[in-house]
Amino acid sequence: MIQDKNLLDNLVLTEEADLLLDAGFINKEQRAIIRKELPSFKIQRNILVRLAFFLLGAFLYLSICGVITLIGISGENTFFKICCYLFAGVGVLGAEYLISQKYYRHGLDDAFILGILLNIGCGIVFTTDAYDIMLIPAVTVAIVSFLTYYRYLHLLSMLVFCMACAAVLFFGMIELQYGEQVLPFVTMLVAAGFYFFTKKRISSLTKKYFYNGLLLANSFCLIVFYLSCNYLVVRELSIELLGYEMRDKEIPLWYFFYFMTFTVPVFYLYQALKTKDRIMLWISFLAIAFSIYTVRVYHSVLPIEVALTLGGLVLFAIAWFSIQKLKNKETGLTFKPDRINNSNAFLNAETLIVASSFGLKPEVKTDSPMEFGGGGFSGGGSEGSF
Amino acid sequence: MANLDEQATQNLFDKNLITENQYQEIKAYRSLGIFSLNAELKLFLYFSALLFTSGIGILIYDNIDSFGHIVLLSVLLILIGGCFYYCFKNSKGFQKTETVFESPFLEYIVLIANILTCIFIGYLQFQYEAFGTHYGLATLIPTIVSFSCAYYFDNKSVLTIAVTGLAAYIGLSVTPQDIFNSSNDFYDNQTLTYSAIALGVLLIVWTIYSSRINLKTHFTLVYLTFALHLISVATISNLFTDDLMWLLFTVVLGISSFYFYKVSHEQKAISLYIFMIVYAYIGFNLFLFRILDFIRPDDIWILLILLLPIYFIVSIVMFIKLIKKFNKEIA
Repeated sequence: MIQDKNLLDNLVLTEEADLLLDAGFINKEQRAIIRKELPSFKIQRNILVRLAFFLLGAFLYLSICGVITLIGISGENTFFKICCYLFAGVGVLGAEYLISQKYYRHGLDDAFILGILLNIGCGIVFTTDAYDIMLIPAVTVAIVSFLTYYRYLHLLSMLVFCMACAAVLFFGMIELQYGEQVLPFVTMLVAAGFYFFTKKRISSLTKKYFYNGLLLANSFCLIVFYLSCNYLVVRELSIELLGYEMRDKEIPLWYFFYFMTFTVPVFYLYQALKTKDRIMLWISFLAIAFSIYTVRVYHSVLPIEVALTLGGLVLFAIAWFSIQKLKNKETGLTFKPDRINNSNAFLNAETLIVASSFGLKPEVKTDSPMEFGGGGFSGGGSEGSF
Repeated sequence: MANLDEQATQNLFDKNLITENQYQEIKAYRSLGIFSLNAELKLFLYFSALLFTSGIGILIYDNIDSFGHIVLLSVLLILIGGCFYYCFKNSKGFQKTETVFESPFLEYIVLIANILTCIFIGYLQFQYEAFGTHYGLATLIPTIVSFSCAYYFDNKSVLTIAVTGLAAYIGLSVTPQDIFNSSNDFYDNQTLTYSAIALGVLLIVWTIYSSRINLKTHFTLVYLTFALHLISVATISNLFTDDLMWLLFTVVLGISSFYFYKVSHEQKAISLYIFMIVYAYIGFNLFLFRILDFIRPDDIWILLILLLPIYFIVSIVMFIKLIKKFNKEIA
């Protein structure tokens, strides 16, 4: 690791100070003093700013690669064989320079580090001519992303590492004989194993700056575990990999997968509320939604409009009863906003979602007076301009 | 996790950066073990409102000929009446400043009531042509209702519906997914561009007037966000036109960027500032491109590619300076 450990420690403290300021325990002057006393990295805390710098960094990266191509294009074939590695080299140089200038979570460093991973991945695919066997690229990317994570303590690299590991497992199992048949079970076992491994590492952690990476891996395991036993995923993958012809046949052990599709999210929810684990709580919400979707894909029990209306009513009832129950509690599980850890960022997205799903549109072209409802809930995205 | 947080607080205390009192206070608060579901449950309410109204909307749209119209209309009307009854009963009435309601449900009931009203008016128009062929009126009335609701119940979600309605009235689609794709044909339709810019200016003027009379000043950011995106997207898409009009639009973009530079400082709104910079940067690059295109320096393209990295480095340095300046000024 080449990040300055002192600065990382300071970063932890300044972030704590930010939290305490939001919670109203300390005042602005105090925070200013803390920031002054504890020098830190060049950090962009605002996600929009970081995104803008990421884009600029990517442009810079691309333009440098363009210059190299311009110079090397006369080398023709040899150049194209090595260009990806050259570009990855540019990424390494850029990242090392930025880190030495104390840029961290700035957007610029993200652009260069992710550039390294992308170029190495593409380079390996071209070199090995492995368009159908993705195992070697996946292994390489996994190794490289772990190195970049560890060297630069770069959180997005950790995400790439997790995905690459999942890919390694997936492609590796396909290569094995009978691998496809046992794929869901092996994935479940591996995910569970890594979950408890990372969990143990977290509980014995003394340096907080490793916390985020481990937490990410930990949550990733939860998601992979759920997906590997979800009926929809298993069924579609069986059709894809084993070439099952199923018009109305069921996959083997379908009752097991249906059972898991419903018990796992509920178990997550229960566990999250018990251990006060917010990330697990959110994963359980998403998992429940996906489970409902799974059922609707195969059994259209209700027409969509009735399902939406009833779903809205049920959700409202759940929220209503929970709020009534939690309203007057002061400790533990409560409806009172937490001063320190709040997820208000999600509430800020509300206005944006309304605008995208219910915004009125001009009706010059259509016959119907207005396009109501039917709002695509995928709208909104991460623009976050409010 | 909790241990690590406590350790961080302990460290701050050890370094004498927080006082003994504060330290004890924080420790006592942490020991309560609060796990708040506030945001999550509110989000549930919110999604339930969206699901419910979407369901009703589709239900009516699909069955527009099969149900008895009167039955449908009366059911809708009863629902709307119920919602509004709840809202009026639980609200504190109109206030000029930001209002906080005790009931967590009110905000979402207002939203439901409002969307249902829009559906109701749309249905009236579709089935009975209540507003004749004045389709504009069928957009304008929901807009007015939404504006009144937004101001009376202090609801930002409803306000965004109102603003999109206002834009729809003059023929623009300003929902987030539409403003960036081609559903508004600014390029072929210059009148649309002028309307967009005019609407943007109107929204800005309204924010200035509101802040004069102290009317719901916390809505300003919503209006300004709409205005910034409207004006900028409209002018940028016109920077490609063939006649000399693009020069005019460059000037308009420049003026609006300058205005939003000022106003984002006043509002301390980094989202406005960032988008202003991004739009200005895009505009500036297009301007450079048009100039180069005009001169047509055929031989120096290679030189330009070689210069590109330097150009980006300079831009990055400028960006960093701008952000630093902003952070310093609003601190």
